[in-house]
Amino acid sequence: MRKIASILALVLVAALAFSFTGCGSKSSDGTITMQIWDTAQRDGMQALADAYHEINPDVTVEIQVTSWDEYWTKLEAAATSNTLPDVFWMHTNYILQYADNGMLADLSGLYDEEDPNFYTSHYSEVSLSNAQGSDGKIYGVPKDKDTVGLVYNKEMFDAAGVAYPDSTWTWDDLVSASAAIYEATGKYGYMAYADDQLGYWNFVYQNGGYILNEDKTAAGFDQPATIEAMKFYIGLQDNEWCPDQVYFAETAPGNAFFSGQGAMFLEGDWNIMSEMKNYPDMQGKWDVAVLPACPNPASGDGRATISNGLCYATSANNQNNETVLDFLRFLGSEEGQRIQGESGAAIPAYIGLEDTWVSAFDQFDYDLNVEAFIEMFDYSVQSVNDKSRPNWKSKITDELLKIYGGTVDIDTGLANMNTIINDAIAEAAA
Amino acid sequence: MKQKLTQAEKREQRWAYLMIAPTILGLLILNYYPLLDTIRLSFSKTQTFGKSTFNGIENYITMFSTPEFWKATLNTIWFCVLTVPVGMAVALLVALLLNAKVRFKSGFRAIYFLPMVVAPAAVAMVWRWMFNGQYGIINTILGRQVNWLTDPSTALIACAIVAIWSAVGYDAVLLLSGLQNISRTYYEAADIDGASKIRQFFSITLPMISPTLFVTLIMRMMASLKVYDLIYMMIDTSNPVLPDVQSLMYLFYREAFVAGNKGYAAAICMWTILLIGLVTIIQFIGQKKWVNYDV
Amino acid sequence: MKNEQSLRRSMLIGKLLTYLFLIAGSIVMIFPFVWMILTSLKTLAESMQVPPTIFPARAVLENFTYAITSLPFVNLYINTILLIFFRVLCAVVFSSMAGYAFAKLNFRFKNLLFSLILIQMMMPSQIFTIPQYQMLAKFSLTNSIFALVFPGLVSAFGTFFLRQSYMGIPDEIGEAACLDGCNQWQTFTKVMAPLTGASVAALTVFTAVFAYADLMWPLVVNTDITMMTLSSGLATLKGQFTTNYPVLMAGSLLAMIPMLVLYLIFQKQFVEGISMTGGK
Repeated sequence: MRKIASILALVLVAALAFSFTGCGSKSSDGTITMQIWDTAQRDGMQALADAYHEINPDVTVEIQVTSWDEYWTKLEAAATSNTLPDVFWMHTNYILQYADNGMLADLSGLYDEEDPNFYTSHYSEVSLSNAQGSDGKIYGVPKDKDTVGLVYNKEMFDAAGVAYPDSTWTWDDLVSASAAIYEATGKYGYMAYADDQLGYWNFVYQNGGYILNEDKTAAGFDQPATIEAMKFYIGLQDNEWCPDQVYFAETAPGNAFFSGQGAMFLEGDWNIMSEMKNYPDMQGKWDVAVLPACPNPASGDGRATISNGLCYATSANNQNNETVLDFLRFLGSEEGQRIQGESGAAIPAYIGLEDTWVSAFDQFDYDLNVEAFIEMFDYSVQSVNDKSRPNWKSKITDELLKIYGGTVDIDTGLANMNTIINDAIAEAAA
Repeated sequence: MKQKLTQAEKREQRWAYLMIAPTILGLLILNYYPLLDTIRLSFSKTQTFGKSTFNGIENYITMFSTPEFWKATLNTIWFCVLTVPVGMAVALLVALLLNAKVRFKSGFRAIYFLPMVVAPAAVAMVWRWMFNGQYGIINTILGRQVNWLTDPSTALIACAIVAIWSAVGYDAVLLLSGLQNISRTYYEAADIDGASKIRQFFSITLPMISPTLFVTLIMRMMASLKVYDLIYMMIDTSNPVLPDVQSLMYLFYREAFVAGNKGYAAAICMWTILLIGLVTIIQFIGQKKWVNYDV
Repeated sequence: MKNEQSLRRSMLIGKLLTYLFLIAGSIVMIFPFVWMILTSLKTLAESMQVPPTIFPARAVLENFTYAITSLPFVNLYINTILLIFFRVLCAVVFSSMAGYAFAKLNFRFKNLLFSLILIQMMMPSQIFTIPQYQMLAKFSLTNSIFALVFPGLVSAFGTFFLRQSYMGIPDEIGEAACLDGCNQWQTFTKVMAPLTGASVAALTVFTAVFAYADLMWPLVVNTDITMMTLSSGLATLKGQFTTNYPVLMAGSLLAMIPMLVLYLIFQKQFVEGISMTGGK
């Protein structure tokens, strides 16, 4: 009998323990949950939550961080079962899929009472297009905007006697500097690897090509300008001074750079702050420049950088939920954007507040040229997206890897990539 | 079967149902409901956000005509062939040695079972690092340049080595418990008869632990045919070697969670379950030939 | 005389080979851990030198600082231990009951119901992830210890495993011990269950190892890093530091230490508990 009693007791204890810990995310009236994927921005988001709580003491915002891969797995499951968090970050890769399927609340009229032109007067066209659905309505409050820049190792440039990259640089300078650095130091030059946003996209648009056409109805891998840029970019790995894709499969370019294996790579502004903090030994030995231009573009002036931007979204169920809407309004306001910028994690989307992000770097003794990222907004290109992108993204990567691996020649590979995207577009339209 | 049950039998039946109720209920909710859903999805054309329409065996037709799928099937079987026989042999050897009269036995045991207490993520990380083609210690020790994880001919072997390394202790524990069940008297009798150690192994040890060996084998087979985590952590999606190593469940993961083809992924999953079922049935038939239950 | 000598010699060679194998094997088993420690003490630049250095030129501890500031280790330890405790408890209690019923009792649909157990063992766990997540989300139960335990509330493997061990107990033992007035429950708890101690110990170990190894489920069901387990916490560390192996190794070591300590304390009971079935 004692055995039964003790087993029962244990089960009871277990049940109790469950029920005590089981009251995690109940969203009661005064609590708003906000889901994000970047640990580095947790503190910045918490600062926003605290500031909002200060103004509205009866509302508490709870920040939840999930890693990138699981974030989308979970968000889709939540959307399907109608259990989306109150506020969540939206990414250009996915916004059209969510918006066009009616999962997100239309926020076009969010600021109508204070200023009907609020969005257009405070946010750039690129920022707003990153927050729009295919119908042109705004489904997210713009959060940040980013650009891609060239990060370089000053010591290696000095050792090779090459001048640092600046705004006059072209692809030719990139190549000749890489060769000179390899010659002089034995270290890699520009590390070009299979990546879209931090790689070939920039080169394609600099050359006047495109990945998707203007109205997103066809892929551009059959365009001469795109093909030319792709061949140039992929061909970079044929040089001695650039590691091959096999190398990058095992070593992230950032790690190769910060361990002194290579002189240059493309980096997004959102990583710079944590790289300053994580590699204190390297502080002062590296800097940032604008992307080199295409010397003889098929069209345009040869300048481009991919600009992406996140936004804050909420479920279509919250279309009239004033508690959530008011918090969103705060996130897009000047104050909300300023707090975010000062945390140093990302450049606020709000026009005129770019300097808050720049000044976050004053904490370091070494003056990094982060203004280069801001400068590039003048010729930034919206990050590539369409409704079917989640369906073709990984397939394009696979095909690109086949080209790098030599199992498919470059012309066939690019033709395949073109077909993959066009098929996905047709599928999504059906 | 239609006979009337006696009072005692009825009582027994009632107790039996009560005792299995939590497990069966749990399985129905936690596992069989998702399984039914997977079966349904495998016959559906799926879109994002749970929308789906019946499309017959379309997903299966696509699946059987995709080379990538057949490659994944072969990879999975190849991984199973690489890990199971070698892994079982090594585990058996370790169990035998640890069961022998040796000094520092508990020390050795502690070492061999060590991988069990390490998070698989950590195991994968350290081996990835050791196998690194540029900076890895394994190449330094071997004195040659092998791109273990990026060369199609070695990548799956490298994964298999890690799988065996982390499973040896686990399997050896099971086998050791079987070995300790064998009464000393058998060996004493054999010693008197002058039978060699090797003969003793084949005529006493092997038959006596065959039931344990069988259970271990079945478990290891199932696990290796379902392999996903390990390959996922060893081989990134940016690794050109991926098509040559991705297992069926890795393909499932990429199709269902990354590319959003839930229906097609469900068909892959059904195929995997079928494959495991087939292999298990063959083993259950085959066991009659070598597993000895009457000791 | 001669025969005895050769016998002794062959025994000596046998002993020698045994130790040789054991020691060689031990080196293979332990080397990754040594390399983990050595790497965790190097700077990123040093770790990527060609040819690799064996010992760090200067032992740096910053990698541990990065790992500690990136992951809330105390939470991860507690969550992992709670997860293991509840999973083991559920597996042992429910599987013992079901295993006993399947092994010793007669009831209708027994084979059919038992096949449910066997078939479950063939299913890949990935297909459960999304439906189980949705069940919890519906009842706002995500982000809790209960959510972590949820997929392991019952164990098909445990039922199968313990049924085997109940099958090994002769029926007469149960019948003899409870000649009169003893119901099935009492026979089970008083007589039969205590006889399966060794198998329960083994099941405990396996359940614990499975629970500990579970990587994807905690990442999906629990949003907050403070509600993660060690395994999934390490996966997020990898997301942050990509191929910065010194930091990853430091994190791995920190994740390992409590388990290692527990293991070293209990390893005697652990191994002997499993092997106790001897002499039955």
